[in-house]
Amino acid sequence: MTHAVAFHGKGTEYFRIWIVNVALTVMTLGIYSAWAKVRTQRYFYGNTYLAGHSFEYHAKAWRILLGRAIALVLLVGYTVSAILLPVTMGMWILLLAAALPWLVRSAIRFNARNTSWRNVRFNFQASFFEAFMAYVVWSVVAVSVFPLIPYARRIHDYFYVNHHSFGGRKFATDFSVGRTYLIYLYGFLAIVALLVAIIAAAFAIISAQTYLHDFLSHIPFPAITLDYPVLTAVALGLGGLFVATFVATMVTNLVIGNTTLEGGHSLASNASPWRVGWIVVSNTVLTLATLGLFYPFARIRLARYRMGRYALHAASDLDDFTSEALAQQSAIGQEIAGFFDLGFGL
Amino acid sequence: MVEGRYFYPNATHFVEARAEAGEGRVLRIADGAGAVLAEVPGKAVRATARLASLPRRFDLPDGARFDTPDNDGADALLRALGKTVSGRITDRLERAWPVVILSLVITLAAGYYLLVQAIPAASEWLARRTPPAVAHIMTEQTLMALDRFALGPTKLSAADQARATKLFQDVAAHSRGGQGAYRLVFRHDKPGGVGPNAFALPDGTIVMTDSLWPLVKDDSEIEGVFAHEMSHVDHAHGLQRIYAASLFPAILALVTGDVSNVSQMTAVLPGIIAQSAYSRSFETQADDDGAATLRRMGLKPSHMADLLERIEKSVCKKDHPCVKSWLGDHPDTDLRAARLRHEDIGPIDDHLNCWEPWKTGISLRCLGFTAN
Repeated sequence: MTHAVAFHGKGTEYFRIWIVNVALTVMTLGIYSAWAKVRTQRYFYGNTYLAGHSFEYHAKAWRILLGRAIALVLLVGYTVSAILLPVTMGMWILLLAAALPWLVRSAIRFNARNTSWRNVRFNFQASFFEAFMAYVVWSVVAVSVFPLIPYARRIHDYFYVNHHSFGGRKFATDFSVGRTYLIYLYGFLAIVALLVAIIAAAFAIISAQTYLHDFLSHIPFPAITLDYPVLTAVALGLGGLFVATFVATMVTNLVIGNTTLEGGHSLASNASPWRVGWIVVSNTVLTLATLGLFYPFARIRLARYRMGRYALHAASDLDDFTSEALAQQSAIGQEIAGFFDLGFGL
Repeated sequence: MVEGRYFYPNATHFVEARAEAGEGRVLRIADGAGAVLAEVPGKAVRATARLASLPRRFDLPDGARFDTPDNDGADALLRALGKTVSGRITDRLERAWPVVILSLVITLAAGYYLLVQAIPAASEWLARRTPPAVAHIMTEQTLMALDRFALGPTKLSAADQARATKLFQDVAAHSRGGQGAYRLVFRHDKPGGVGPNAFALPDGTIVMTDSLWPLVKDDSEIEGVFAHEMSHVDHAHGLQRIYAASLFPAILALVTGDVSNVSQMTAVLPGIIAQSAYSRSFETQADDDGAATLRRMGLKPSHMADLLERIEKSVCKKDHPCVKSWLGDHPDTDLRAARLRHEDIGPIDDHLNCWEPWKTGISLRCLGFTAN
């Protein structure tokens, strides 16, 4: 039986939550941002429904605040010393390489453990070594050998999905790396097409203007001066955003579409990359044009489409499944949410 | 009496149920027929904070839970149980339109304040406290990088160098820092690089490219350029730009608390616009200071305007046009030239031009920001 995911959030409702969050954050010099984060997450999770039940977000704001305080201290330390004493860069790179796997793992785990559906919690369990391989070794490899980027991407996706579990039932994804390469090939071709289109458009505009200029030189006509560098930058920025979203959506479809959940269940994701690209690009334009005020509506609009394209193919009755998972969870429940679980995700 | 669903302890099945506060602040949950499902002291119950129209959830100590879409009922129930209703204040704020509008005003005011006052002020504070040794290291590294890619050893004759250095020292004597504060170095600019140019580096080093020298028709012209660059050094404009560039994204991330696709892209463009606006303000400041220095030396600032226009003419040709841009880090040359010519008489009052934005461009000065 297939259960579609549905998102019921409303733009006007979230706008009010968001603007109060921002105002309180500004007035408390950023401290309220942790509570703002919890309210935002609760709103989005609580409005995401699967088989008639919503997801729930349980994080405690002070843990997020602590995580952010640590991240801020590190960021300031890094920025100041990188600007003033570039010599210390080596030390920071080593520190980052050592801390990054730990940070990534804690951030994902914090999010997973604070998420539940029908009272059953998600979990994320990965060793430091696995995180180190995925986020340090493979990131360095991908940056130095470009053709390996899709391969590293699959390593990251495997790391993310294959260590998640729901009430003790493991998620697993498996697909051929050739399909990731194919998606990145599309992305590469799209970038080439974008550049060609920009050059062609610039050429067409210039020749049209020259032609019109000769033609209309006798009529007093206000000269139109187009700002080419700005136009090109805007076209490149928005086009690049479209391609990046397009690729990311196809990768998500691939990863989630091949994910199974122990017990014979499987997930589906069939968002149209064109549609998501259009939503993200138009959201960006509208957000910029409204000085950021469209931002909450943009998030709702994206969630509405994106969430609605996820589904769960259940092999058995979900009531029984979640009951068993819950029974198992309450048996081992004590170790959930250890003291060192901090919300590092900005 | 609040209608909702009762979930059995640590199970996922539920029955329609009603909750009410009984005597002695006890939470009693009963099914439709009136049979009591649970009865626990209010103290032991934990409830979620109110948020929009999300269902409220009551966790009971034995692992059972009760949830209800009736938020007002849930609030009343919690009060009857003698519990503090968490999230009530925030929820009220979010519900009241006047508060929402007030938040909007606060947010816009804070955005304006951060952009126009706080970030520039913080950058200036940091720039003034940056140790000279650090500024020196940064200068060395910048110059090294430039020498590798865009510049080379000077090809000016020793006589030309000596003459430029003499003029430079004359200007330095009339500038704020005095003769010891600045150092002039010459560099040949590789084709397609920086072109005829002069720029200041954090520790007081001022670089002049070879191709600028032949464009100079009158000594006061290059003296104006030197005075302009010395103003950049006096105010540590280079360091201020670096600090502002790091502060902007950090503050934005803190306030929005989210680094997703939309916010990344929407953070980049305002960042660029703000950076170039700061930069244009610094340039105007340096032009004003340069003009003041020239006047102190008994020279006319309009000479500098002549040179600026000649530089633009030499750089911008028919096949390689220079386009005016509101993203530029310098104000448009004709605006700068007009301003400098006005300064022949004396300093100008800025705010007179602010009502004509097509003349000034979008300038932070007109919004109340004065560069230091």
